[in-house]
Amino acid sequence: MRPEIKEYNYDWMLGSLLKVASEIGNSSEKEIQYLTNYIPYFKGTLSVLLREGEVGTCFIRLLDKYFDNILTAHQNSKKISAITFCLSPALFHAMNIVPVTLEVMTGLAGLLWKRGAYDYLDYGCELGFTETSCSSQRGALGAYLAGLGEEIDFLVCDTPGVCDTNANAFAFASTFMEKPFFQLNYPQTIGDEKTRKYHLDDYKDLITFLKEQTGKDLDVDRLREVLKEVDKQDDILAEIEDFYCLVPNPIPVIFNLFIYIGRFISAGLPEYTELLELMLEKVQQNAQKGITGLHFEQEKARVFMCYIDHYTLNLDFFDWLNRRGISHLGGILSRNFRDNTRYASELEKSTYGIDTSTFETMLTSLSEMNATLPMVRSIRGPFDKPNMWLEESISLARLYHADCVVYNGTPGCRNTWGMVKPFAREVEKAGFPVHIMNGDAFDDRVESWESTVNRLEEFLSIRGLL
Amino acid sequence: MTIVAGCDVGSLTTKAVLLKDNRLISTSLIRSKAKPQESARIAMEELFAKADLSEKEMEYCVGTGYGREKLAFVNAVKSEIACHGKGAKWLLPSVKTIIDIGGQDCKVIKIDESGTATRFVTNDKCASGTGRFLEVMAQVLGIDISELGQQSSRSKSPVTLASTCTVWAQADVIKQINSGVPIEDIGAGINLAMAKRIATLANSIKPENDICMTGGVAKNQGVMSLLEQLMGCRIRKIRKSDPQLAGAIGAALFAQEKLLSA
Amino acid sequence: MNSRFLQAATSINFPDLEQWKDEGKPVIGYSCSYVPSEIFHAAGILSMRLRGIETEGMEIGDSYFGPYICSFPKCILQLAGHGKFSILDGVVITPGCDSMRRLYECWQKAGEDYDGIVPGFFHYLDVPHKTVSHRIDWFVDEITALKIAVEEKYNLRLDQDKINASIEVYNTGRRLMDELEGLRRKESVPLSGSEAFAVAVAGTVMWRDDFNNELKQYVENLKTNATDTHKHKKRLMLIGSISDDIELVSLVESNNKAVVVADNLCFGVRQEENEISINDDPLRALARFYLGESTCPRMFGKYGERLTLMKKKIETCKVDGVILQNIRFCDLHGSENGLFERDLEKVGVPCLKLEREYGPLTETGRIKMRIDAFLERIS
Repeated sequence: MRPEIKEYNYDWMLGSLLKVASEIGNSSEKEIQYLTNYIPYFKGTLSVLLREGEVGTCFIRLLDKYFDNILTAHQNSKKISAITFCLSPALFHAMNIVPVTLEVMTGLAGLLWKRGAYDYLDYGCELGFTETSCSSQRGALGAYLAGLGEEIDFLVCDTPGVCDTNANAFAFASTFMEKPFFQLNYPQTIGDEKTRKYHLDDYKDLITFLKEQTGKDLDVDRLREVLKEVDKQDDILAEIEDFYCLVPNPIPVIFNLFIYIGRFISAGLPEYTELLELMLEKVQQNAQKGITGLHFEQEKARVFMCYIDHYTLNLDFFDWLNRRGISHLGGILSRNFRDNTRYASELEKSTYGIDTSTFETMLTSLSEMNATLPMVRSIRGPFDKPNMWLEESISLARLYHADCVVYNGTPGCRNTWGMVKPFAREVEKAGFPVHIMNGDAFDDRVESWESTVNRLEEFLSIRGLL
Repeated sequence: MTIVAGCDVGSLTTKAVLLKDNRLISTSLIRSKAKPQESARIAMEELFAKADLSEKEMEYCVGTGYGREKLAFVNAVKSEIACHGKGAKWLLPSVKTIIDIGGQDCKVIKIDESGTATRFVTNDKCASGTGRFLEVMAQVLGIDISELGQQSSRSKSPVTLASTCTVWAQADVIKQINSGVPIEDIGAGINLAMAKRIATLANSIKPENDICMTGGVAKNQGVMSLLEQLMGCRIRKIRKSDPQLAGAIGAALFAQEKLLSA
Repeated sequence: MNSRFLQAATSINFPDLEQWKDEGKPVIGYSCSYVPSEIFHAAGILSMRLRGIETEGMEIGDSYFGPYICSFPKCILQLAGHGKFSILDGVVITPGCDSMRRLYECWQKAGEDYDGIVPGFFHYLDVPHKTVSHRIDWFVDEITALKIAVEEKYNLRLDQDKINASIEVYNTGRRLMDELEGLRRKESVPLSGSEAFAVAVAGTVMWRDDFNNELKQYVENLKTNATDTHKHKKRLMLIGSISDDIELVSLVESNNKAVVVADNLCFGVRQEENEISINDDPLRALARFYLGESTCPRMFGKYGERLTLMKKKIETCKVDGVILQNIRFCDLHGSENGLFERDLEKVGVPCLKLEREYGPLTETGRIKMRIDAFLERIS
């Protein structure tokens, strides 16, 4: 690692930038103009966010709050846990544990800095972690392994059974940093009684682990408070979801990112509710006027991202979609599979509800909510079995009138790369043109954005979509 | 008066040296042929011709590199790692860590006082950390490989290139050229992509001073300076002879040792 | 070298198997060491571990698997696509790792394009990644489901006694393997690493009773025919990604300066050292053993245990150096090797980390050079 990289902590650097950025909501146009001269590497991302007005600045404030929590955790006598994006932070918020979501931390480096997380990605490899491991954890992990962040007290993941490379990253980090580690395991099916019971048993073990690590009991009232907030958030999400069916799609492209990042880091917290309310308002306004959520063009095509988005520097992917007139219908990260959503009626067996009446019902809600998170829900078993990736993708693509389906991931994603070709074939058979992107969502050095966008343009033009 | 030889058959180049009483009296460096035996034969012929000596005067020869066992004229073979360690020590007595970037692989070797390799790490699963990468890129840029190193010092804004795959990096370079990006910026970007991969590899073995580079890429000042910056350390330049000959020199030194101990 | 073991280890269609098929008896292929072979043995079915040896080309493997996948399952698919596994009556796939688990879909999808390559019995056996009580219960359920599936397919009943009897047969084999390992700990090790590995691999594909009889004889022979062939060689241990190919071990020993005296490989003796207890709940006994005793990095959080095991083996086998190999894209072993290198070098055990391809893409020249250099280092 370059010596100068070791000067400052990773989380502090990201947090400091966001703290200043969070004040932008109170700034005048002229002040913002002046500011952009001093932020050559952030201004691209910033302009994409500010284009969304109040929603964009609210999102920045949500991120600022998240980092504030991390950077002050220990001084406020709270423990810090490294978690993964497909593990709900709600329980952690209820137990006053500050969750550090590795993939979000890696992705943010890409949005906020010139070189993204390159230096940190490589550092893990210097320590013996494989280069072929998924970049989503590896970026932020490099920083933590180098001791360049607030000290992690323990690690929790729920990807054994779902994603080896993810689980392996946590196991490696736990050994390297000599910190306790807990894994929720997921079986290959979802929706049957036996599996539900299993989810609950495992989740109870998680709570026991967290109690041991914090030395505190689970405050049932606080849990109820957090779950009620999640319930409120789920209601708003369900309303927003309905709008995906409209043609043109009134949901701005970048809202997809806001929806899932907010959920991964702030589910159950009021700052996420505030963001969702502002988003809903905007979407309702667009829908009332019958206009698209795109800023520069009329809607020319509708794409369903069956896996994850591309987090290249400056939010280029989202910006490109906007400029080309392509509506983003969400992807595997976007949906929560709450039982109040339209798509849930097609996939009933693998949804969750929230019941805050007793401690037992709350635990069931939590364990089932966790079981329907991205990847955990639908890549836990063979892709063409009920409720799994194929059924989920085709069902959503149909419901939202997608013109095509695009797969983007990372070279580390052994699970999807092991089945994406047969998957693509089946999706094509179902009537959707499919494009498989070869790049790395978190590391532009694998395939540069220019090459990536060339191929996307080629696909859209050859298949007559643009 | 002992005359010994060392022959290092590489994928891109074959090197041979003659040592007489611990002095280099002749060297040869040729482009490798498909068969290692042929490459070695041509290199050795050139070697003796330059020294105005006949092969019969050679008392011992050690071979190294790929295909070393197939060389008819060698008395013994040694691994490339051992030879580079030994050769680098001769070229720079204070060296403890050697970064050797050859045509098709990259090695980082740590040696002890006697020049014996104690730890090593290699990266050769693909072209992008090797001399081949630079050759391909220089070709695309339309410049000679020897000019690639200087681009870094001329550039004000090196581009970031896809560095995991040489094929994609090539496509990237073409795109940059078509977009009118200055050659020096692209050249600098190529050197940077290479240096980053090497730095990660080198750091995994915790390099100790003094550090030097051997192999053809040691002549690329751009990569060397960048490595210094990325690793936060000084890389000592080898001035005693061509750093690309380190392997052959090491082989000759082993030949010398063998004779003296006999 | 025992020729019966050698034949079984180096060919997919070896003489024992051909004879078995001639007698009209069933064979089921299985994908990883977490599958309890005793279930098949109890049903009179030969369980044969799926291997990638004899692979030529990769056009089928590459058509279904993406580019960033370990070459081992690709080789198996390549062979399946070319009908090399048409001798199988059934296949059991497990989520041994994310690459291997997708054989389940890819093989069946390839079956839509290549006739007759998907056997009638195609079963997915879920395997947990930890060993806590409800996870063992889950695995017991999975093994029970496998047992029922076998019973239904072959119209038979596997009662407790039958399964226990098979467990005993497998335990006998484990004891014999343990004896063999004991011989490898001697200063004058009587067999090379590739010979020992051939035995281990043969054990994953031969009918257990035959394997036991042959092995008993082989061990007796080794005890009585002492040899000094390997006495002064450097003693190496081989750890890491899956290998079913004795050529890899031969390559390590090809310079005649080294002998592989120990390993911790998936096809090797990782789990043979222990025995399954015979009791009135054989399925639970199988679940406990296969999940708990045969740890590999897919059982997350067990690094400490594995390191202790490696250190113990290094000590008892008087190992001079360890080769930590991984197949490219094998992150589980690749990363674990990084930790092993750190921790073993710290206690003075020299290590060589090697990344390689499996199958027709293996570059033996390069690997040999690395091994030679390592031997120079430890000599």
